[in-house]
Amino acid sequence: MLVARSNPHFFSLFLSAIACAPVWLFAQEASRAPGGETTRWEHEVPVIHSGEWNGPRLTDGQPDVQGFWSNTIANHNNWTDPQGGEPGDTRSRPRKHRAPSRVIDPPDGQVPFQPWARALQQEFAAHLYNPVKPQYIEPLARCAPGGVPKSFIWHGYEIRQYPGYVLFLFDSGTRIIHLDGKPHLPANIKLWNADSRGHWEGNTLVVDVTSNNAKARFGRSGEFASENVHITERFIFSEDGERYNYVATFTDPTVYTRPWTAIIPARRRGVGEPPDGWHFSGELANAPGQPPFFEHYERICVENNGAFGQVAAPAQHASSSGARP
Amino acid sequence: MPGVSLVALLLIAAFSARPAAADVPRLGGKPNLNGIWQAMNSANWNLEAHSAQKIDSQWELGALFPIPAGKSVVVGGKIPYLPEALKVRDKLRAEWPNSDPETFCYLPGIPRATYMPYPFQIIQGDRDILMVYSYATANRTIFMKDHQDPPIDSWMGRSNGHWEGDTLVVETTGFNGRARLDRAGNHFSPALKVVERFTMENANVIRYEATLEDPQTYSRPWTIRMPLYKHVEENAELLELKCVPFAEELLYKDLELPAKK
Repeated sequence: MLVARSNPHFFSLFLSAIACAPVWLFAQEASRAPGGETTRWEHEVPVIHSGEWNGPRLTDGQPDVQGFWSNTIANHNNWTDPQGGEPGDTRSRPRKHRAPSRVIDPPDGQVPFQPWARALQQEFAAHLYNPVKPQYIEPLARCAPGGVPKSFIWHGYEIRQYPGYVLFLFDSGTRIIHLDGKPHLPANIKLWNADSRGHWEGNTLVVDVTSNNAKARFGRSGEFASENVHITERFIFSEDGERYNYVATFTDPTVYTRPWTAIIPARRRGVGEPPDGWHFSGELANAPGQPPFFEHYERICVENNGAFGQVAAPAQHASSSGARP
Repeated sequence: MPGVSLVALLLIAAFSARPAAADVPRLGGKPNLNGIWQAMNSANWNLEAHSAQKIDSQWELGALFPIPAGKSVVVGGKIPYLPEALKVRDKLRAEWPNSDPETFCYLPGIPRATYMPYPFQIIQGDRDILMVYSYATANRTIFMKDHQDPPIDSWMGRSNGHWEGDTLVVETTGFNGRARLDRAGNHFSPALKVVERFTMENANVIRYEATLEDPQTYSRPWTIRMPLYKHVEENAELLELKCVPFAEELLYKDLELPAKK
């Protein structure tokens, strides 16, 4: 047994579970806004071309891209104006000083919603802090998985690779990419993290994604897909293995007027960087005499969740964990 | 009779030392545990022997959700509780389901994760072996190389593994003590040390043992033993049981806005 001691690890576990609480988020972002640049506030998406992979490989031939990663531009507050803050946030810098939309096609940077879907997205955005109907509650606020693609703009995460598999270990669950070419699940099975079949093309992991239950939203700004969405993901890794761009095309005639494409830049996190509980939640392992490596002690959410309740009913929050073990 | 004891001892010794079957699949010289596995018993209801029962509070569901009977998966039949710990077990049992973290979709802890009534996947690598559970899409890393003491107490603890011949031996410590062993109130303290042994009987069966040592709770170490079966259906795939949304009413009911009259 370990004694409960005062150390930063407890803080980091705790923060990872409640970091979505608006109060915490404001505090975090205020301290990192212009002047205190961190990864989250990069403004540009680096150009990374698909091509050969000349870096290290695993025994099964996969490019070795294991480690801790996170996106480099803001978080899940806003899908199309990543550094514009969540709906209703008026503290943002002028638009021209913020990173561009994650949507790169169409060129206007907007998700090409059908009119009814645009109206629903705006309804979600307008009710983020006033969820007068259950469907307005942001699922991640209750520790449902971030799903595809939101998991890539929430907390940092770990990529692990095994023969035949690439795994994403998110704070909201585990996503398995199957590289063995087995057929997709039947269309009537839907999953939060969807059903993923991947293969490597040089420096690019190409993943075909079906069976998305589409219950997760893309951001607090309310963008969404339907269960019929088909996503093609390309994870394009840089030559030095330090960055990758996530380029995903969304096809869903139920919701959109045409297929569209988004990009999320990501960067490796590691040696020399202090864990911050958001982008980099790995901890330096206590392994004297070995090359430094990182581990993530435990990915929990609902076990510590309480502060999210503030979104729904602040006055009642204090009682929200009373009956739990 | 000494003769009988000797025979018994020899049998035990033979069982313990029995090598894995020669025809098990292998990976890098070691048994290949890759696959989707599941316990086929009612240990998650109660590790000890129990009769079939109805759940009184769920009478509206009739015969749909009974507690199935089960033989004990505890070697020797009973968990050797210290007297005070037995009282705690009885209290937790009386207060089930609220006393059980499973009710709220919290992490299941070790060894319970292994015999929850859902599949889990073993993914075997060089540096570590990852177990991914359908339940909560939880995962657990078994460190095969980077052994170290647990840096922090957690629900699932820290697992260090090594091979003893063809048996994967995993030692897990660093528990926060909040998980339980089953739905019948069986429990442990943060002092728990679990030593698990995964031995392939053949390509489709793992002989699983977990020895629990916790001087704050038990009078001596004791052992769980059960087979784990492989999902052999074509294209078997782990499907997530992301249960947090199923527990929303329990977790957040008090946050609901008052109903409009």
